[in-house]
Amino acid sequence: MKNLFTAAAAAISIAASAMSVQAQEWTPPGPIKLMIAFAAGGGADTQARLIATELENRLGWEFIPEQVTGKGGVNLLVEMQDEPNDGTVIGMIVTESLGYNLYTADIGLTPEDFTPIVTTAGTQMGVVAGAATGWTSFDDMVAAAKGGQDIRFGVMSQRLGEIAYLLGKEQGIDLNIISVQGGRAVLNGVTAGDMDVGFMAGIQAPGVEAGDLVNLASAMAQPLTQTPDAPTLPDLGVDFDAAAVFLFAGPGGMPEDARNAIAAAITEVTSDPETEVGALIARAFGGPMNIQGAELDALVMRDFADSEALIEAASE
Amino acid sequence: MQGQSRSNLYLGLLCVAFALLLIFIWIPLDTKTGIVEKARGKFVIGDALAPTVAAGFILLGGLVVSVFERKVADQPTISRTQVKFVASLTALVIVGLAIMRFVGPAAVEIANLFRAEPMEYRLLRATPGWKHIGFFLGGAIMVAGLVSVVERKLTRRAVLTGIITAVVLIAVFDLPFEDLLLPPNGDV
Amino acid sequence: MDILGYIWLGVQAVFLGPEAFSILGMSISITVMMVLSGFLFGIVVGATPGLAGPFAMAISLPILISVFGYSPDALLPVLGFLIGIMKGATIGGAVPAILFNTPGTPDAFMTTLDGFPMAQKGQAKKALRVAHFSSASGDTFSDIVLFVCAPFLAIIVESYLDLPEKTGLLILSLSFIAAVIGGSAGKGLISIGLGLLAVYVGTGEDFYPRLSMGADGLSRGFPITTAVLGVLIIGAVFKELEEAWRETGQNRPAKVPTQSGDQKLHWPDIKRLFPFIARSAFIGTAIGALPGVGSTLAATLGYSVGRARHQKTKAADAPSFGDGTPEGIAATEAANSAVSGANLIPVLSLGIPGNAAAVFLILAAESIGGFNPGPAVFRFSPDVVNPELVIAFGLFTCMTIANLFNWTIGGVFMRSMGFMINIPKTLLLPAVLLLTLTAIYVQETRLEAIWFALGFGVLGYVMRVLTISPLPFVIAFILGRSLEETARQAYSATGNDPFFLFNNPIALIFILMSVAVIIFAGRKPKGTAP
Repeated sequence: MKNLFTAAAAAISIAASAMSVQAQEWTPPGPIKLMIAFAAGGGADTQARLIATELENRLGWEFIPEQVTGKGGVNLLVEMQDEPNDGTVIGMIVTESLGYNLYTADIGLTPEDFTPIVTTAGTQMGVVAGAATGWTSFDDMVAAAKGGQDIRFGVMSQRLGEIAYLLGKEQGIDLNIISVQGGRAVLNGVTAGDMDVGFMAGIQAPGVEAGDLVNLASAMAQPLTQTPDAPTLPDLGVDFDAAAVFLFAGPGGMPEDARNAIAAAITEVTSDPETEVGALIARAFGGPMNIQGAELDALVMRDFADSEALIEAASE
Repeated sequence: MQGQSRSNLYLGLLCVAFALLLIFIWIPLDTKTGIVEKARGKFVIGDALAPTVAAGFILLGGLVVSVFERKVADQPTISRTQVKFVASLTALVIVGLAIMRFVGPAAVEIANLFRAEPMEYRLLRATPGWKHIGFFLGGAIMVAGLVSVVERKLTRRAVLTGIITAVVLIAVFDLPFEDLLLPPNGDV
Repeated sequence: MDILGYIWLGVQAVFLGPEAFSILGMSISITVMMVLSGFLFGIVVGATPGLAGPFAMAISLPILISVFGYSPDALLPVLGFLIGIMKGATIGGAVPAILFNTPGTPDAFMTTLDGFPMAQKGQAKKALRVAHFSSASGDTFSDIVLFVCAPFLAIIVESYLDLPEKTGLLILSLSFIAAVIGGSAGKGLISIGLGLLAVYVGTGEDFYPRLSMGADGLSRGFPITTAVLGVLIIGAVFKELEEAWRETGQNRPAKVPTQSGDQKLHWPDIKRLFPFIARSAFIGTAIGALPGVGSTLAATLGYSVGRARHQKTKAADAPSFGDGTPEGIAATEAANSAVSGANLIPVLSLGIPGNAAAVFLILAAESIGGFNPGPAVFRFSPDVVNPELVIAFGLFTCMTIANLFNWTIGGVFMRSMGFMINIPKTLLLPAVLLLTLTAIYVQETRLEAIWFALGFGVLGYVMRVLTISPLPFVIAFILGRSLEETARQAYSATGNDPFFLFNNPIALIFILMSVAVIIFAGRKPKGTAP
């Protein structure tokens, strides 16, 4: 996952030049069922629906969006695996769904049972505290913990819980890790004072801007765009990346022409800042990130395999 | 006290038995993490706790009903005719849904007999006409059937109500909205 | 941004939202139009025997969501429409109660006691006017209490209650609801337990879907619409169909007798009715603010208190309660209408729904996203605009608009609805059933959802036959997830203290109160047993 962003930069250029031609060669044989693993009305759901609308307008494809939420995208994967793989069924998840979540769910499925199509954007994942804590840096939090204060750390997935645990362990402090459903719940918890600090995937930006929230650290391998001076996870001794990347995938064994055509079409609309979805991605998710093909396959498999190392590290 | 229904006693005992079944058999066998589990060196609340609390409410309710409320006046009864009536309503709904589910694909198969190039219902599920066959027939038969059962006779009014209801629902849900799928078109 | 700033933003969100059309250069926003159409639709539905507000809210929700989409902009038009229905159905229910002795909604049952005798005496129009005036007064009073109390209560909850206390509060609410809805605490507890059990199927923290018995169909749990619509709507349709089936061949209701005399409501009438309205509005508001205590109890209490007062003060030759007196209608209608506004106090300040209408408002907010009713809504953040708070004040604005419609055109429209009695239940209810199943399908798009709803419908029917109130089931289903999550969070937050509910004074008080409420309610029937 560490090399994700460098990979992304390379991939964007390839995608933009080579693939857009192929979109012409394949058209879906019928309406496309678009499964969405995120709660209706949130940023991720809006992104998926805007992509569908834009593709309907540009290419005349017909999309039928459907919410399949729960279990970090695993519910969607289970539902999708038996669907036809001719390109008429795709789903929007995060890389974590095919990685840690599928691995931990232990239901006999691997990423090879699915066809990853293309990523759309990453998230600006940060370790964010409420201004009421009085902390201005990550060290302040560590000092408070060492001074005997109980620290409540909000996370929105099991994998993030493991990373939070490692983060505490590396600093020699004990965190009370509270898991909640969805990123907004972490934001609400931190603002209401039910939690001191938590992972937030970009939702913190307006609050940080206004001074209600503080980005203590980047929860990725590279700095946050909003607070570039905050330390990164490797700086803090944690060799994993908490970033989530939005991903379109289909059932296993999807034909190459369908896969490439859908990937090219999605890349085209998400990387165009003139479109509504392109603007949303630029504003809320730190810009487009379109990885596809063999590179995406490798990325997804590595994520799946890394999960074992993460679980092992966190259970020590 | 003669003729007084004792349904509270039976209901209470049934609930107690169900709750015990839940707590000692179903929940332990059908959850993965137990009441508490160990994660990252600490005990955390497992997935079995909340259902056990639910079962606790049922158990407590069953006890209260069968012990404290055993002899209250005017206890309700379920009559055989009520069971039969609701069973027939449910059966009718199931028949209607089955028609809804299978008539469309069957129609495509029949049409395929006369076509060189076979069609697939799944790919026609957004095509006007095809996509309405199942809902229209299944819905109309369901409503007409229910009206007839309740009025104890099959009238032209019942059939008309079924047809009108199905047509109105298609007009309300399907015509104005591209994204909405009438049954069974999300499953095919 | 201060409080006034937020209120102003909320008002603007309603009036300056997307425009429906404009008259003489004045633009009329979609939200205002939605409140109006919901209100009129609610009156029609309320005036139709066999249909009630929750039906209308349930079936319009998927259509509204398809029209307005899943975006925060959809919240006010959709919730505005639902609020309109809620208010319209309240006054609509009095129409068949007064004209035909058939309450249009369950709340209106007490209205028949004096309304129908008045109609028999040729005073139907006057009875309807009294009902409308009292209902609108009670409703308006209740809304004002809501506007004032909800924000303060929410702020108190948010600043004094930490995770363990919030867990305790949820347990107390569930116990209270079990104890007060319906006549039996035991049956209330069973209803709560079943609702919790249903919501815990397939959910949970672990990736294995618990209690799913390995079935794929259950692995995503029961969608909230299937449980709520199944138990509340389909169960009620089955029950009503059964009653219609028993009555087949029986007579239609009597014709309205010829009307005579003065049908207008004059100032001295209002002055005479006012004490009854005020008392009942107060009773209804107080009862409505408690989660789970329904408008039926409010109407009964308002009526009894009114009757006691009336016996002492009435002129010797004036009719008593039950013989067709305007005071009787006023006492009932003011009380049952005052419940609807106050019922939103626990919804907005605690996230706890108290009646079926509140359940559907929460369902709407949850389906659309971007607004989670609860204490976090009332966070007056000074620098960043809290969008949920704007929506909350937008809702208050919608309620005020609905009240204005109620005062101005509600009465006229309501009095023209007498003909709805002619729609036979035997035709209407099967159509409603298909409509409900279709509405569930378009939201969930899988047939499993319809099977679930049908199963919950049968459950709802059996519960009704056994006089187990289905409302605690639904409320437990809605609160179950947050009960489990809050408990987990409280446990983690307190450094894995297994006794977090007892080591904290406020949480402990809540737990002791829940036990007390169950014991108190559970012992009551023993005393009345023969």
